[in-house]
Amino acid sequence: MQFELGVTKNGLIDTKHLMAQTVSTHSSPRDFLRQHSDMVDSLVRKAFQNAQSQVSSPSVCLMAVGGYGRAELAPHSDIDLLLLYSASKKEVLPPLVEKILYPLWDLGLDVSCSSRSIIECLKMAQSDLHIKTGLIDGRYLDGEYEFFRNLYGLFMRKTLHRKVRNFAEALTKDLHLRHQKYEDPNYALEPNIKEGEGGLRDFQVGKWIIRAKYKTDRWDSILFPDHSRSLEKSLQFLWAVRNQLHLLSGRRQDDLTFELQEKIGPTLGFPQGTEGIEEMMRQYHLATQRISNFVHDILERALYEPSLFKKALSFLQRRKIDENFGMADGELNLLDPVTFKRDPPRLMTLFHHCQTYQIKMDFRTEEAVMESLPFIDDRFRTSGEVNETFLSILKKGERAANLLRKMHELGFLSRYIPEFSEVEGKVHYDLYHVHPVDSHSILAVEELEKLRRGLYEKEYPLLTSLIRELENPGILFLTALLHDIGKGKEGNHSLVGAEWVERIGTRMGLASEDKDPMVFLVGHHLSMIETAFRRNLQDEQVILHFAQKVKNLNQLKMLYLLTFADIKAVGPEAWTAWKNTLLMELFLKTTHFFERGAVAEPFLTGDEIIQKLRESLSPEIISEYADRLPDRYLSCYSSAEIARHIEMARSIEKELLLVEWQIEKEAQAKVTVCTKDRYGLFSKMTGSMFLNRLNILQAQIHTWEDGTVLDTFWVEDGTKDIERRLQQFKKDLRKIVSGEVPLKDLLFERIESNGIKQKIIPRVSGVVKINNQDSDFYTIVEITGEDRLGILYEITQALTDHGCDIHFARISTLGNRIVDVFYVQDEWGEKIEEKQKTDRLKQILLNRLTPQERITLKNHS
Amino acid sequence: MKKIEAIIKPFKLDEVKNALTKIGVQGMTVTEVKGFGRQKGHTEVYRGAEYKIDFLPKVKIELITSEEMVTQVIETIERAAKTGKIGDGKIFISPVEEVIRIRTGERGRDAI
Repeated sequence: MQFELGVTKNGLIDTKHLMAQTVSTHSSPRDFLRQHSDMVDSLVRKAFQNAQSQVSSPSVCLMAVGGYGRAELAPHSDIDLLLLYSASKKEVLPPLVEKILYPLWDLGLDVSCSSRSIIECLKMAQSDLHIKTGLIDGRYLDGEYEFFRNLYGLFMRKTLHRKVRNFAEALTKDLHLRHQKYEDPNYALEPNIKEGEGGLRDFQVGKWIIRAKYKTDRWDSILFPDHSRSLEKSLQFLWAVRNQLHLLSGRRQDDLTFELQEKIGPTLGFPQGTEGIEEMMRQYHLATQRISNFVHDILERALYEPSLFKKALSFLQRRKIDENFGMADGELNLLDPVTFKRDPPRLMTLFHHCQTYQIKMDFRTEEAVMESLPFIDDRFRTSGEVNETFLSILKKGERAANLLRKMHELGFLSRYIPEFSEVEGKVHYDLYHVHPVDSHSILAVEELEKLRRGLYEKEYPLLTSLIRELENPGILFLTALLHDIGKGKEGNHSLVGAEWVERIGTRMGLASEDKDPMVFLVGHHLSMIETAFRRNLQDEQVILHFAQKVKNLNQLKMLYLLTFADIKAVGPEAWTAWKNTLLMELFLKTTHFFERGAVAEPFLTGDEIIQKLRESLSPEIISEYADRLPDRYLSCYSSAEIARHIEMARSIEKELLLVEWQIEKEAQAKVTVCTKDRYGLFSKMTGSMFLNRLNILQAQIHTWEDGTVLDTFWVEDGTKDIERRLQQFKKDLRKIVSGEVPLKDLLFERIESNGIKQKIIPRVSGVVKINNQDSDFYTIVEITGEDRLGILYEITQALTDHGCDIHFARISTLGNRIVDVFYVQDEWGEKIEEKQKTDRLKQILLNRLTPQERITLKNHS
Repeated sequence: MKKIEAIIKPFKLDEVKNALTKIGVQGMTVTEVKGFGRQKGHTEVYRGAEYKIDFLPKVKIELITSEEMVTQVIETIERAAKTGKIGDGKIFISPVEEVIRIRTGERGRDAI
């Protein structure tokens, strides 16, 4: 039985492998397909002839259909046969079919055979799309040739060349269904070479339509030669990959899995390792992209094939748009083929018209575009008119992504922005990046377009309103298109990209108000992601740092929108509500910084201040301290003051505390205290000042990351004896901080002996406001009241007693009125928000403000 | 064998993962989750419109470990995930009856 066809199963496998070695499967993959198909033909014919000699049967015709019909047989493709018979003799067929199939099955071939009469074939072809398309590719193998000729004559006339539009509709539907199955992002990484988007089946669909609509089996005859050559190359590449897939896995394997990508790369001549695989997949994506463009274009043209009536109507609607372009049959056309050569900027006008009139250009115009690519030179790229038109297309935003895709497909975009060609088809060999860089970038533009059109209004109302607030969304679109332009270069792709965008922007003649944000956004397009997902958003420093980096509200908005588009364009599962919550929180908190003016004035960033510090401090000291200095601190002092503070901080490693002062204007002094943080420190300081009759006018308190406290007080002494009082203050504070003497003992003693008395003065009524709205991190306590010696001590003591940790204070005195603002948190570092707590705090503070309560001081002892 | 589930702040993930790898934990499952406990959500205002954040984003780590390792794993997570502030998250420990590695069919400790 095994030798019936003159070959064994193993023998057949060996032959196949030998063939794969002699006919290179990758340099001319089609030859292999053809030879393989020829070999199978001879086996099938032999099986058919053997069967006919063994079983008496009426005359029949044996045909190859589907891929086998096209003589495109990959190493493990199925072999589909069709047996045509004359209508009356159906019952004698099964034994014949068995006799044909069994020996082939025994050889391990994946053969299936259907038997139909000519009439059945024609009927079924009308109702079943797959039977119809299988028949298009049918090929005569053996038996009655007359049957075959009859069937094809009828099939072409009655089925294929009729209702081409319906056929295109059915194929489009089928194509969408098929792609839906492979829409899962995993398939983009491990694509199915046959059924996936831009795969071999897609190409076939294009060919079928051409066969039906243009009545030719030379698909390339209707295309521009360059176009058909590049398609043919893409196809060859896919076939080469598919042959390897089958041979390596020993079965009909059409999923290009990671494992197989690794194995196939080297056999196709790509270098070993990740780079080789990335390059192979880049080629793969370029190939499928071309095929996908081809099939969509062909389908669309067949779908919008106007009816005769419409044709007549549109003949009347034929019109000129301007001296170069016209409209006919609902398509845009070029009136004079040499227009682009004579005047290249018209190329951009063409795209602008497509947007304005919302129509596609016809085939011939597309060809003319491709032919004129060599005329796109530096003069074109720097032409004010060209660039303005391009930006206005983006600014308008309608169908911008579609137009960009068309520009890219025709090779126009890469000529106009040559930097873009470097990311064409560029893939990342990882699990996250689904699309190659060029399509990812255009998708990002498309996401922004959708957002602007309100398609995400329900899910993301904030983002929607932000994009509508933008004055020039075109700049954001352009940024989205170029944000990954630095990919695949040496170094950090954001920074490289920023340099390139600077160059592109200059070439396009962008004003710096447009170019600067673009350069910033490309250079920082991952900053928001890094901060939102990896940093503690409850930490004010984090937000402040981020705000300093982003610089202004406009850039913040654009960065949030770009981040959205970037993630969304990675793949359908990359963007999640979870991610959005974190990004939104970062956006809103940073907005609050800008809106409340906390960082509104142009300020030096931390880095710039540190740079200035280098003038007065050694690099070792700077690198030791740079990370410890909070931004809020850095923004309050000059670099000379900071340098002095660092020196002080270095000496308190040996000493308990350091107090320095400068007397200004006889009775006033600026006092700097440096020590290590400890509980209730601030009230100990204010208490010591109170002891020495130093009236506090202003204070700034700061704590460094390492717990070093640097507080500055502006104090006043009415007796012009300020130097002596400050000396005493220093002594007292040292005693109190070291724990030698409790503050309250000193207070009691001093009140008794020095007779610190209450003055009788006009009353200022006390007001305490507790504000939880204006800061995302602190409860702000604002106290207005009557000034008196020691009031600050009492207030801060009350705050400390109440479990408030004072992080920042602004003390000011206006006449006999104090206006003090404290930024506080509870002992857990949270805001104080419970109403019960804030009410109690308010009450206690109010009590301290009213003079009669000061008697508590005496009650202490 | 025990299953340890920890809900932590998102920005602590890298730290926790690194700390666990250091003590020899070989694998874990990480999920983006949302929820609330004592730390309730809040409403943010932008240009007068309110944006509600009612479920806070957290990360859930799940891992299976042998009995001897449990204490060390928990301590490691606790140390690495702690900020001392509200919303630091929780750790749940539960017994696991059996673990099977699908590819090899290994069971019990070998499959962890």
